Amino acid sequence: MRILDTTGAVKQLIKPHSVSGRFSIAFIGVVTLILFVYAGIAIWIDNSRINKDLEQRLERALHLSTISLPTPLWNLDNHIVDDFIEALFLDESMVFAEVTWGEKVISKRVREEYSQFEFSSLNNPSLFLSTISDILYEGNKVGKIRLSISRETVKREMIKGILQTICLTIFIIVAITITSLVITKKYITAPLLKLQDSASSIATGNLDTFIDKSSHSEIGILAQQFDKMRESLQSLFLEVSEKKSKIEEYSRNLEQKVDQRTHELAQSVDELQALGEVSRVVSSTLDLNKVLTSILHHAVQLSDTKGGTVFEFEESEQVFVPRIYYGLSSAIAKKLERSVLRIGDKTAIGQAGQQKAPVQISDLEIESEYPLPYVLEDGFRALLAVPLMRQDRLIGGLVVMRKYAGNFSDRTVGLLQTFAAQSALTIYNAQLFKQIEEKSSQLELADKHKSEFLANMSHELRTPLNAILGYTELILDEIYGDIPEKIKKPLERLEKNGRHLLNLINDVLDLSKIEAGRLTLSLDDYSLRELVNTVLISVEGLAEEKGIKLSATIDMDLPIGKADQQRIGQVLLNLLGNAIKFTDEGEVGIEVSTTNSAFLVSVLDTGLGLSVEDKQIIFKEFHQVDGSSTRERGGTGLGLSIAKKIVEMHGGTIWADSRSEGGAIFSFSIPICVEQQVES
Amino acid sequence: MGKLILVVEDQEDNRRILRDLLTSSGFEVVEAVNGIEGVRLAEKLIPDLILMDIQLPGIDGYEATRQIKAKANLASIPIIVVTSYALSGDDKKAYDAGCDEYVAKPFSPRKLLAKVRNFLS
Repeated sequence: MRILDTTGAVKQLIKPHSVSGRFSIAFIGVVTLILFVYAGIAIWIDNSRINKDLEQRLERALHLSTISLPTPLWNLDNHIVDDFIEALFLDESMVFAEVTWGEKVISKRVREEYSQFEFSSLNNPSLFLSTISDILYEGNKVGKIRLSISRETVKREMIKGILQTICLTIFIIVAITITSLVITKKYITAPLLKLQDSASSIATGNLDTFIDKSSHSEIGILAQQFDKMRESLQSLFLEVSEKKSKIEEYSRNLEQKVDQRTHELAQSVDELQALGEVSRVVSSTLDLNKVLTSILHHAVQLSDTKGGTVFEFEESEQVFVPRIYYGLSSAIAKKLERSVLRIGDKTAIGQAGQQKAPVQISDLEIESEYPLPYVLEDGFRALLAVPLMRQDRLIGGLVVMRKYAGNFSDRTVGLLQTFAAQSALTIYNAQLFKQIEEKSSQLELADKHKSEFLANMSHELRTPLNAILGYTELILDEIYGDIPEKIKKPLERLEKNGRHLLNLINDVLDLSKIEAGRLTLSLDDYSLRELVNTVLISVEGLAEEKGIKLSATIDMDLPIGKADQQRIGQVLLNLLGNAIKFTDEGEVGIEVSTTNSAFLVSVLDTGLGLSVEDKQIIFKEFHQVDGSSTRERGGTGLGLSIAKKIVEMHGGTIWADSRSEGGAIFSFSIPICVEQQVES
Repeated sequence: MGKLILVVEDQEDNRRILRDLLTSSGFEVVEAVNGIEGVRLAEKLIPDLILMDIQLPGIDGYEATRQIKAKANLASIPIIVVTSYALSGDDKKAYDAGCDEYVAKPFSPRKLLAKVRNFLS
């Protein structure tokens, strides 16, 4: 743990990833390497110097011995030899010295610590340096000397030297390291850290951070640049924040505007919905009270008021009569009903009526002249009255009431005017509708009377006519005896005119019944072929009388149809009768065919033909091609009109045209199968 | 002895025309002026044919026709309705009441006589 701690401490001191850390490590590493190399070399040189020195010392000792010892040896003066050996041992390295003569040891000395070594073992060259030499006296061998020097001492010395070197080296390394660290810290790390702190501070948004630029080193320059950058950042930031606040303000404004617009829109939507609802009520019911209640209800809600009243203006009395209430207590409603509200009164409605413009009372408490104290007593403070106008004519008023004082906004006034216009229109429409209803029921009654009168008259006319025609026929048939020839002609004229009158009456009766909607078709299966043939037979005589040729073209495969046979017969008779009547020579033809599930019947003649004007009016009542010809040609002038109505009741159409070769063509088409009578 | 014809008609002129027409052709004519009398006379006299007006005081011609046709001994007597109700649907009503023929007023005496003869031949 302690080791780890130490590593940690070192790591803290020399932050390996920081610039200064790396620098320190590199620097110290290089210095250490150089020092160690130097120390190694120094030790190696020292070592070889010592070894050489040792050899020289041994050489010198031996040389000294070969000089000093021959004489004593020759003189057998052993003491001097001993002394000499003793003297050799002054050298600390000297561990063994022996002087022998043959086998005899003259002097021998071994350093105490090496006493256990034999000389032979001293031969170990790694530990000892040994030499042996004969000692000669004037050319005579007088002895032998052996010397051994221990390398130990030298080694110790060398180790001491090495240790010294190492110590020195370490000292230097430490010194350099500390110096380097201190310098690095002071001139690089600290300013960089400061700068880093400043940068961090700026990074967190504090653009006012102080940057130390006092140094003139590169870091100082860097700091200056950095400060410049900070300043420009600051000004940029200021600008940005100004813009930002501007944008924020703009966006706030925008939001407010959007809110306001949204609110306005919502209000408009409410108003439109209310108006839509009112329109719906107006169009869905004619109940005036219901419509006015709906209008008042929406007016009160949208004007943010608590209650209101719709008044009708009694023009004759010049007073306003409350008609509809909303949001008012029954007590106040009763009081209002009992009050006489004249135009020109100091009430809101009285003033609005007089001015024909909206009038508001913003605070009843300060309005001393206001004549209806119960309104204030009921808690209402402000009133808004709008007159109901119809083309400059006052027809009523709309009043809303609020329980707090203050002016009504223009918007509310405008809104209320819209509702007032709607109310006015409703009241006016209701009045108009009432008038129309009265008129229409009067008309309906008159029409009914007319139809009844016509029906009755026709019936009553026919009864005496029956007698006239009956008697005439009886007389002509000479039931009452022979009649003179002179009387016969007038009697025939009498009968003819009588029959014409009868036809007229019949047609009028038919027409009035049709118009009164009281003619019911009796629809049944029939054969149009047979019907046409029957009608042809009945007009044969008439055609023969006038010398007109009668022809019929009927499709072979005419189907059985469904219609009121009698009425269709009436139409055919009318068309054929007319054709014969208005044709003086030539022929009358009838063509019957089927097209698209309808019968098509055409009656063609070679008579007078029709003008463009004729075609337009010919199917109208009492119209013939030429007014004067009515009497000449006979007929009532109602026949075509009745024929048209009968065809239309069958869901068909009838039309007339001129033929290019002269004469007229009358055509009608009816569905083959008429299932239902068509009401006109 | 000619055939007996009952004329039920409230209008004097019409009665007279019918009487003159029929008697001149050799028929015997009995007249009733309303529906009730018509039914009574029909029961009493058992005529060979009845001419019936519709618009009558008291019970109308339809009702009188129904009552006569409802009696077993009278049911076979032909009844010709002679009426001024001459619109479509009126004839159906008459036939529904049980009449045998329908003639609209104003009638041609000649044609009516032909119909009467047709029934009694």
